[in-house]
Amino acid sequence: MGKSRPLEDLRPRTSGQTDCVIANNVSKSFGSVVAVDQVSFAIPNGYFSALLGPSGCGKSTLLRMVAGLIPFEGSLTLHEQPVEGPRPEVGMMFQTPTLLPWRSALENVLLPAVIRGRDEDDRERALHYLHLVGLKDREFAYPKHLSGGMQQRVSLARLLMTGADVLLLDEPFGALDEFTRERLNIELLRIHAEVEATTMFVTHSISEAVFLADEILVMTPGPGRLAGVVKAPFDRPRDIDLMRTPEFTDTVFAVREMLGATI
Amino acid sequence: MTDPIATLEIESGASTRRWPIRVVVHLLTFAAVLAVWVVASNQGWVSERILPPPAEVLESWWNLASKGILADHLGVTLWEVFAGFVIGAAGGFIIAVVASFWADFRSVVWPYMVALQVTPRVAIAPLLFIWLGFGALPKIVLAATICFFPVLINSLTGLMLVDEEADQLFRSLGATRSQRFFRLALPGALPVIFAGLKTSISLALIGAIVGEFVSAQEGLGLLIQRFSFQLNTSAAYAVLLTLTVIGLVLYGLMELADRWIVYWNRDDRLHHRTEHAASKHAAALIRISKNQ
Repeated sequence: MGKSRPLEDLRPRTSGQTDCVIANNVSKSFGSVVAVDQVSFAIPNGYFSALLGPSGCGKSTLLRMVAGLIPFEGSLTLHEQPVEGPRPEVGMMFQTPTLLPWRSALENVLLPAVIRGRDEDDRERALHYLHLVGLKDREFAYPKHLSGGMQQRVSLARLLMTGADVLLLDEPFGALDEFTRERLNIELLRIHAEVEATTMFVTHSISEAVFLADEILVMTPGPGRLAGVVKAPFDRPRDIDLMRTPEFTDTVFAVREMLGATI
Repeated sequence: MTDPIATLEIESGASTRRWPIRVVVHLLTFAAVLAVWVVASNQGWVSERILPPPAEVLESWWNLASKGILADHLGVTLWEVFAGFVIGAAGGFIIAVVASFWADFRSVVWPYMVALQVTPRVAIAPLLFIWLGFGALPKIVLAATICFFPVLINSLTGLMLVDEEADQLFRSLGATRSQRFFRLALPGALPVIFAGLKTSISLALIGAIVGEFVSAQEGLGLLIQRFSFQLNTSAAYAVLLTLTVIGLVLYGLMELADRWIVYWNRDDRLHHRTEHAASKHAAALIRISKNQ
């Protein structure tokens, strides 16, 4: 590999000021199984970071800890406050669209507003987000009548509806075909830039991680540990041509090597 | 618990055929059954005691109906069915809701629920009359105990089926416990709950009739029993056919409620709602397109 591998030694940053998510020796066990073991990282505000690793390395567990959905050991702060439960500034998206079949696309997007007790006022904003994710003319369709890709678009619009500035995405397009996935990834980048959100994106695809992220947190399986961080400092906005550049390939191989060294 | 009649409908493929053909097929089948019945009784293949000719059954029915006898007894039986169904179904549903929230309650109460289910409720009937007298009440209670279990087990199964990620989504949105129940768990459970209700409504009719067999002064069960003892077979058949029609109507009503409430399992209802919403919000859509 090249001499200047974009690797960075991993210690929790101390700057604090500009970091959005800071994890310090975070661990999680399910019974006697250690899922996440002493993980530390810091994600600066507005960063897009990918959480990469093989299946069962605890990356989804880590994401749910940041979301405040499961208890953990160690310290985890978000916007300089310890994570103690779900927060309104955090939005989640899952591998399955998790749409409610009895609600239309629009009503599903309105769900965050409904739960917070104001639905009517937000209808136009919800329609706006549906159009933003490319679902014009399907606003009132029910999930049953939408393709898998369209359902995930609704799910993305619902995420935007939360108004969250920390987006936690758990393999959001993992169940979709390659073409749809690529298209949605590009739209995700556009939206990330537009809402200026800090994003954590769980994936097990190396090229997807390098294409999307500013930095890639590489995780090792059983127990889940952080192997290191690889920077992907490419210009934005990015398009699919980025994948053709030697810099992109170098970064992919750097990640691959780090994964290879840890398995 | 599956819904045997609905399964039958799907397996027979009836719903995939176009309706005029379907209606004709049904009418022809009905005519054929009736023809066999007429021929069988006219030719003396079976004794009139066992199978009276359709005309005689119809005459008996008209006799009973025109004197108002049928209506009086029908009213009594229907009240027992209705009250028994409402009490049994509501009880089953409420216990299921509590059990879905509270695991300890579930494990403590469950054996008793199963014990109640495996005990033939018909065997409780004589005791019910000792406890509750000879009016409508023991029949209502018998119907309720039979109705109770399908609704309980279906409701509990449905309520426990909540998708893990959907629940995490609700929690990440800051949903309260009651929001998670009313906006996620309950609607998700409704299709399964309705399967239980459809089973129960037929069982309620059985409960009421069996109760009337054991001891009654009025009701369709009593009529059937009385006519059978008198060897008045045609009148017994007339009451029996009335019961069949009642059973079909009750089941049909539940089916209608199911289609109406659980609209998201039916493509035609979904398309209708989509179109309705699109026309209702057309103005808002135009406003938004102008802004973009």
